[in-house]
Amino acid sequence: MTRTPPPRDPARRAVVTGLGAMTPIGNDAQSFWTSLVAGRSGVAPITLFDPSDLEVRIAAEVKGFEPKDWMDFKQARRMSRFAQLAVAAARQAIDASGLEIGDHNRDDVAVVVNTGGGGLQEVAVGEMTMERKSPDRVSPFMVPMMSPSMAACQISIQNGIRGPVITSVAACAAGVQAFVEAQRLIEHGDVDVVITGGTESAIMPVAFAALANMGALSKRNDDPTGASRPFDANRDGFVFGEAAGVMVIEAAEHAEARGATIIAEVAGGALTGDAFHISAPDPSGYGATLAMKRAIRDAHLEMEQVDYVVAHGTSTPLNDATETKAIRAAFGAHADRLAVSSNKSMVGHTLGAAGAVSALAAVMAIRDGVAPPTINQEKPDPDCDLDYVPNEARKMPIGVATVNGFGFGGQNAVTVFQRYAG
Amino acid sequence: MTERRAVVTGLGVVSPVGIGLEATWDALVGGRSGIDRITLFDPSPFEVDVAGEVKGFDATDFMEPKEARRHDRNVHFAVAASGEALRHAGLLGDNGRVNADVNADRFGMVFGTGIGGIGLLIDGQKTLDERGPRRVSPFLLPHMLPDSASGQVAIEFGLRGPNMAVVSACATGGQAVGEAMEAILRGQADIMLGAGTEAPLVPLAFAGFGQMRALGTPKDPDTGEYSPAMASRPFDATRDGFVVAEGSAVLVLEELQHALARGARPIAEVIGFGSSADAFDMAAPAERGEGNQRAMRAALERAGIGPDAVDYINAHGTSTPLNDKFETTAIRDVFGEHADRLAVSSTKSMTGHAMGAAGAIEALVCAQVVATGCIPPTINYRHPDPELTLDYVPNEARAAEVRVALSNSMGLGGHNSTVILRRFEE
Repeated sequence: MTRTPPPRDPARRAVVTGLGAMTPIGNDAQSFWTSLVAGRSGVAPITLFDPSDLEVRIAAEVKGFEPKDWMDFKQARRMSRFAQLAVAAARQAIDASGLEIGDHNRDDVAVVVNTGGGGLQEVAVGEMTMERKSPDRVSPFMVPMMSPSMAACQISIQNGIRGPVITSVAACAAGVQAFVEAQRLIEHGDVDVVITGGTESAIMPVAFAALANMGALSKRNDDPTGASRPFDANRDGFVFGEAAGVMVIEAAEHAEARGATIIAEVAGGALTGDAFHISAPDPSGYGATLAMKRAIRDAHLEMEQVDYVVAHGTSTPLNDATETKAIRAAFGAHADRLAVSSNKSMVGHTLGAAGAVSALAAVMAIRDGVAPPTINQEKPDPDCDLDYVPNEARKMPIGVATVNGFGFGGQNAVTVFQRYAG
Repeated sequence: MTERRAVVTGLGVVSPVGIGLEATWDALVGGRSGIDRITLFDPSPFEVDVAGEVKGFDATDFMEPKEARRHDRNVHFAVAASGEALRHAGLLGDNGRVNADVNADRFGMVFGTGIGGIGLLIDGQKTLDERGPRRVSPFLLPHMLPDSASGQVAIEFGLRGPNMAVVSACATGGQAVGEAMEAILRGQADIMLGAGTEAPLVPLAFAGFGQMRALGTPKDPDTGEYSPAMASRPFDATRDGFVVAEGSAVLVLEELQHALARGARPIAEVIGFGSSADAFDMAAPAERGEGNQRAMRAALERAGIGPDAVDYINAHGTSTPLNDKFETTAIRDVFGEHADRLAVSSTKSMTGHAMGAAGAIEALVCAQVVATGCIPPTINYRHPDPELTLDYVPNEARAAEVRVALSNSMGLGGHNSTVILRRFEE
């Protein structure tokens, strides 16, 4: 099919040294992980706006987020919420990694923080201002605030990082793509450190209206915590959420030289396109299968070495069946020995942040030897017949975990994490 | 194994100065402005009423009417420019999809945009406000997100390789072409589109730019008369802001051996890419174009050439007082004495600033410059600014021996990207 990548320089392997999270089930990486392992759902009635005239009135919101705890209050006012969440998660990740950013290294640090939509709220606010007042009342900060690249930019500005600052958008695959890009920047020696992840905050009426009208959202308004049920026979759509997940990734030689604690390694990744449809996945799962196979090959691993798959698992009827089929096609007989779980059962679908949130789950699963569960597993679906780690976390040794992210428009991204052996 | 090289084998463009490569290039070489009074919406409430609109564009010439209706204008441009580029590269089959003998799994793209389907989002918001949530289009979300162009182009032409949509404000286009080059050099793909698209001409975005006090006034600086074509005056002493524009450009980047094996003719080679951040301010550029300098130096290093090897710079040259000043300083700092031997022009004097598409349009211009030996001018250059003393190729195109061309792009938030192209040599 294609060529095998050349052997990797051990010194330029990309290792994870710091984690940060702002999620519907915890406002730091450890709280997020504790909730995830305990199987706690973060889905609840919408509080960020009045949803009473909407068909869908539940979401997975980040709770109790105070931007001023993480950044200068005045600067926070000029950031859209997706950027605020990312800046907060980046602060945590950088602090946890013990990395000092200063004149000695600021040109050799990059930021790769992706998103699905960026500051969409600013567009809605701006439009209302213009309709109800006039064009000259529109905020001069609207354009930079709405720009999807502004989360990465603000992390660069707030931390004095002057290497490449990259944002790519890949709808729901964005968060996974970030790690693929970050690993390459390190491997190719462009930089020594990458602050990487994904962020999304689009809890706004127009997004809920559009997604509900698409038939994409779960309508279980009366049962919020049971609404997201990936792979269950009674799943009826995803729950829209917001989050940011950020990690510090660095070259192994760099991490070792400064005595950093290495949590796991980003072993490889791959991107593919379905070339099929703007919102539906290719029912054959071809592009998804291709991405999984290529990612494992990129990591110089065999499919049989994978222990745990963090599924895209959105809880839509189509995704979960297609993803199951794609996993079977990629892994063959080994598919039945895999633990496969979807954290979206608890954090909802956070679009551009989802892949980063899943990457956090993969890294901590490797660190602790625990596969978090897929909650709300009540009625098995004959089309979804893998081991989804139903309802309860499982202690198991995890050497290799892969993360799936599939986006609108048929963008597929898979990244591979493994235990760092030194 | 021979080293992988990324050559350009096809170009496609939709711009304010023309639809298609030939029309666009003719206008640029002829020094014709594409800036005029806005027709896409009523500009009368706005102090500045001009823009670089793509004229006479009918999306249904390029897409099925049903598809076209659901998509945003930025996607229409992207599909149109991609189709031209693929045809130009000899990659388009009779069925309108990529040739069957090309491995579509190894054919991907980096398709950037600054803001994506902002027009659709605003329409959706209006529908919600005026008619209620149940009338909001179910197609809104997937068609509004900034990666809908990269998704739709993949679908339209059947391209199944690595697919990315980068967003780095006005540095996007350069970033996209650079990342596409890297994907080829690293062996992730054999063919990549490096491309950008933008359709920001909606009243709200226009209001936002206006409020930043960053737009050029459409007046003849000497007579004070209304003159849309004179609104963009890069490097001129009277410059006072940029002109918002729209469009898309697509470069087909292909691994050299792959191109030669199928008998394609390389137009140019992409040899360098550098990217950096100012880490300074959301809107203003850093002093002396410090971040731009680091991007240019990184691109030269990646290309493995010294500053003296560069013959032409297609400047970011937005026509704002600060950009043009800092970019000039940055070029002087990076190129030293060689700066005085460089030809530097800003095609934004004619196209306006097409945001996320600008860097791709300008990389396309660089490919044409090294292929034809003709440098498009900076028009509206009448009053030299005593501080800005490079050779800006004023007002008239110039025939010149250009082997290496460099394109600068910088964006809000402090993004900088630089790509370097070279005339194709075996």
